[in-house]
Amino acid sequence: MAEEAKTVTLQTSDNQNIKVDREVAERSILIKNLLEDLGGESGEEIPIPNVNEAVMKKVLEWCEHHRKDPPASQDDDSDSRKKSTDIDEWDQKFMQVDQEMLFEIILAANYLDIKALLDVGCKTVANMIKGKSPDEIRKTFNIQNDFTPEEEDQIRRENEWAEDR
Amino acid sequence: MATRSNFKRAMAPPQPNVIASLRNASMLEDSKAVLPAELINTILDYLPVPDMFRFARTSKRMQEMVYDDTRWIQRLKSMDCWNEAEARKRFEEAMRRKQEAQRAEEARRAGVAPPGGVNGLQPHDPQGRTSTTLFDIGIEEEKQRRSVDDRSKEGTLGQGLNDLTLQPSHPVPSPTVQAYTIDPHLALKVISRAKSIRGMARQEYGKIYGALAPYYFDLARSQSHTDPILFRTYRDPEQQAVMLAQMKIFARSDFSQGWYQREQKLDTMMGIFENAALREFEQGYDTKDFDGKMKRYTQVLVSLNGGAAAIDSFIHNHPLMLEKEKLGNPADCMRVAGHGSISLQPSLDFFKGLAVTLSEEASLIDRVFPPTVDIMLPFLERVAEDVISEYITPLFDEAHDASIEVYLKAVSGVFDQASQLAISIQPTRASRPDFREEAMQIIYRCFEQHVDLYLQEETEHFKRGTSAEVEAWEKRLIDEEQSAESFFMSNVSRQAAKRDFMSSFKKVVMAPVNVLPTFGTTSSSKPASTGPSLNGSTLDLPSRSTTPNPLERSASPQSLEAPTSELAAKAAIMNSRLEGIRSLFSIEVALNLTHTCKSSLERAARFVRLGGQSGEEAKEQCEHMFISLLQTLGGRHMKPGFDKAVNHMAAYKPREVTDHSKEGVAPLVAFLELVNVGDLIQQMVEVFYLQELVAAKLTDQDDFLSPAAKEKKRFEQMLDERVAAGLNKGIDVLMDEVEYICGSMQLPTDFNPAAGPNGVAQVFDIGPSHAARRIIDMVSSHTSMLVGSTEKTVLDVFNQEVGLRLFTALCKHLKRQRISVEGAIKLISDMNAYNSYIVSLRNKSLTQYFAALREMSQIYLIDPKNAKEIATIIADSDRYHGIFRAEEVYEFAERRADWYQIRSAVEKQMYGVGCSVM
Repeated sequence: MAEEAKTVTLQTSDNQNIKVDREVAERSILIKNLLEDLGGESGEEIPIPNVNEAVMKKVLEWCEHHRKDPPASQDDDSDSRKKSTDIDEWDQKFMQVDQEMLFEIILAANYLDIKALLDVGCKTVANMIKGKSPDEIRKTFNIQNDFTPEEEDQIRRENEWAEDR
Repeated sequence: MATRSNFKRAMAPPQPNVIASLRNASMLEDSKAVLPAELINTILDYLPVPDMFRFARTSKRMQEMVYDDTRWIQRLKSMDCWNEAEARKRFEEAMRRKQEAQRAEEARRAGVAPPGGVNGLQPHDPQGRTSTTLFDIGIEEEKQRRSVDDRSKEGTLGQGLNDLTLQPSHPVPSPTVQAYTIDPHLALKVISRAKSIRGMARQEYGKIYGALAPYYFDLARSQSHTDPILFRTYRDPEQQAVMLAQMKIFARSDFSQGWYQREQKLDTMMGIFENAALREFEQGYDTKDFDGKMKRYTQVLVSLNGGAAAIDSFIHNHPLMLEKEKLGNPADCMRVAGHGSISLQPSLDFFKGLAVTLSEEASLIDRVFPPTVDIMLPFLERVAEDVISEYITPLFDEAHDASIEVYLKAVSGVFDQASQLAISIQPTRASRPDFREEAMQIIYRCFEQHVDLYLQEETEHFKRGTSAEVEAWEKRLIDEEQSAESFFMSNVSRQAAKRDFMSSFKKVVMAPVNVLPTFGTTSSSKPASTGPSLNGSTLDLPSRSTTPNPLERSASPQSLEAPTSELAAKAAIMNSRLEGIRSLFSIEVALNLTHTCKSSLERAARFVRLGGQSGEEAKEQCEHMFISLLQTLGGRHMKPGFDKAVNHMAAYKPREVTDHSKEGVAPLVAFLELVNVGDLIQQMVEVFYLQELVAAKLTDQDDFLSPAAKEKKRFEQMLDERVAAGLNKGIDVLMDEVEYICGSMQLPTDFNPAAGPNGVAQVFDIGPSHAARRIIDMVSSHTSMLVGSTEKTVLDVFNQEVGLRLFTALCKHLKRQRISVEGAIKLISDMNAYNSYIVSLRNKSLTQYFAALREMSQIYLIDPKNAKEIATIIADSDRYHGIFRAEEVYEFAERRADWYQIRSAVEKQMYGVGCSVM
């Protein structure tokens, strides 16, 4: 029960303090390493300057749900991606947020080093893109088209083999 | 768009700007968060291929990211289609060609046409090298050049490598890509044709994707096995199998969402297909349509997934497994030979039958299966497990129930037959080079479970056998104890007899070893006589050749027979010669023990071939058997013998023995014979050790920690100790005898002859006295018995001790005699005789002693008138090499018969006037 007492306070970019179980916070490798460096003395709040309160809460919600997951393996070879499974139901629901929030979550997961969350986010984005036309993609990602229509068409024809049939 | 710059910023140096944008994000309502390149890259990995290219069309930066070669190399790698070495080679070739082209260009500009390729654009190597790699590059380059010719370079994104040569920057899809998507026959080989070219990975993947993806996704979507286009496009089952196998590989490069379901679907489809093909295969097998249906569907299954199912079915349904009872019934072995014994003929038939079936099978496998599939080994494994194991287990059980001896023979004999079988199995085309060893291992594995028990029983059996042998001998001894012990003094040359005996022993020990390598290698060369009927009494000496070693028997029955019987004869002769020590220990017993050990070892040593743990155990057991041989032979047989002999000697009292007519002291003779025999046995053990254990690689001679070597040392040490102790006692006995002879046979008149009628003592013969001759004869006969049976140093020490003791005894003897001038001649000839005997021993210090004795004896020869001369000789210690002091010589001088007459004169001369006062 002594475990329960172990909480940490995170200070978000907009100076909000969030108190959270240490175990939950340690889903983030960044925070975990930080706590280890501090030597376990968690009296003061930990500044997370790149994440605002709203996003942080969302991220912590995910961490709370996945607190018992086995820690992510560090061998980040190219094959492990192949093994990544599809998004589970809870995560799918969790990711049903507006696109802006989704990107924020991905960035926060990237910054906080929560690989599983990052993967889920990226997969969600990939699903979003699936089947969209280049124009729609541009809109989603704020990409400016620097191709002439001919150039764009050339790329399409170059890769005609990949078209759905 | 207001947000456009936002993205750009994020791309360049990501970190600080991202944070900035993050900060902005919370304040600016309409600005959108953007993702840095690495995250977009991650997202791209999860995208299906078509979506990726739509993504590429959004902007140049995105196109660059999607077209990135590493992404496609990774996909090719996931299908094992990427060969880094090949890629490097191509790259280097390309570089070289480019340089050549440049040089050619320069040369052309300089107006000098180089020989060969004038413009450097020919697809063939100017130097005439026509390796395929070069050729391919050539084609690609040509293709590229053509496209470069009529296309503007506008769309080129590549830098560095890309515009070097290989990435065709032309936006038109390459014609080969088109070809693959159209021609289903080319699609069959699309994966194996994939090339590893840097900068071309996307195109190469495109070829594979174009060929397989339509079928793959269609199959993933299809509801039943009749749906997929695949099965409609390809009618031929071989082609269908190839395509399915390719798709299985292709599925590995499917990273996008839902891959798991797709792969499962593919697996299900393959399972259905495999089952159908397998049914056809089995039908073919049932109808014996080996070259038609069976071969065809083997091909199908092999190209589908290596043919594991076909192999499994083939092995499982093989008639050998189903009708294994036909080959033989293990109970036959016991029944044929009758109660209490075993015949290995039925088991031999069984293995022969098996060998025939297996070779038939090997040829069938060659006909049906392609050489890429190694089916013989798994088949053999199955046969070993199901047929051989099931045959031998009940056989061994029954044999064990019958008797231990039968069991031991059954195990080793059947093991040998199985080894023959393993050797006879023919490898198939698909077999690896180490097939024979593998086959051997498989067969051996069947025996592994029996080995433990076998070795245990073998050792036990051996120990029991040896103890029984020794006990029987001891019992016989007790029975005979009452009968008179006759001692035998052999006149024959001992060394020659021993050498003779040892050479026949060696012959026998080595014989099977010489014979072994000649045994047959094929089943047909196994003669029918290899399974001799074994009766229960093979362990005694003359019938030893019937030990269950068919190899020995079949290869050279005569050559083995001869030395064995020869050895038996020799042993008998030896034994009769050594009659005298029959009560102590018997060479025959030793011989029997070594033979028992040898046959046990031979049986057990076969299992060393098993290798691994069992092999090690077998080795260990062999060492143990050798050790227990030594323990029984040494501890239980020879040691008591020696002890008894030593005790005999200790109890010897010359005065109590009435009969001294014989030459030699009986117990000492017996002991010395014993030393000889002990030495013989030790040599036997040595030869046995070298031949059976070292030569058979059962133990390492140089390994001083090996228990066998240690035990052998201990055995030798024990012998040496006994010999030393015995010799010690022996010298005592010898000297007792010398003293007895001196006391009883030396006549007082020898050295002091009675005065003849004319007042002058007559000396009849000039030569050593009878007593001296007896002493010399006795001592020399005993010392010579040791020659050749003990070490030189031991012999030297023994001789020296004998000599010294003899010297002391003689001195003592002399001092008891009275010697006249006339008798001195006799004495001197005695001393000369002793001296010449001692010289023959070639022991320097001893020679001096006896020389001194000889010198000393001259004092008796001096006429009493020359008393002064006597004194001079007494005082002249140089004469005696410092062995006698003047006082001692004086004591000897006192033994002169005329001493009292000359005493004063001598003393006067020696001590001067003062002495006269005394």
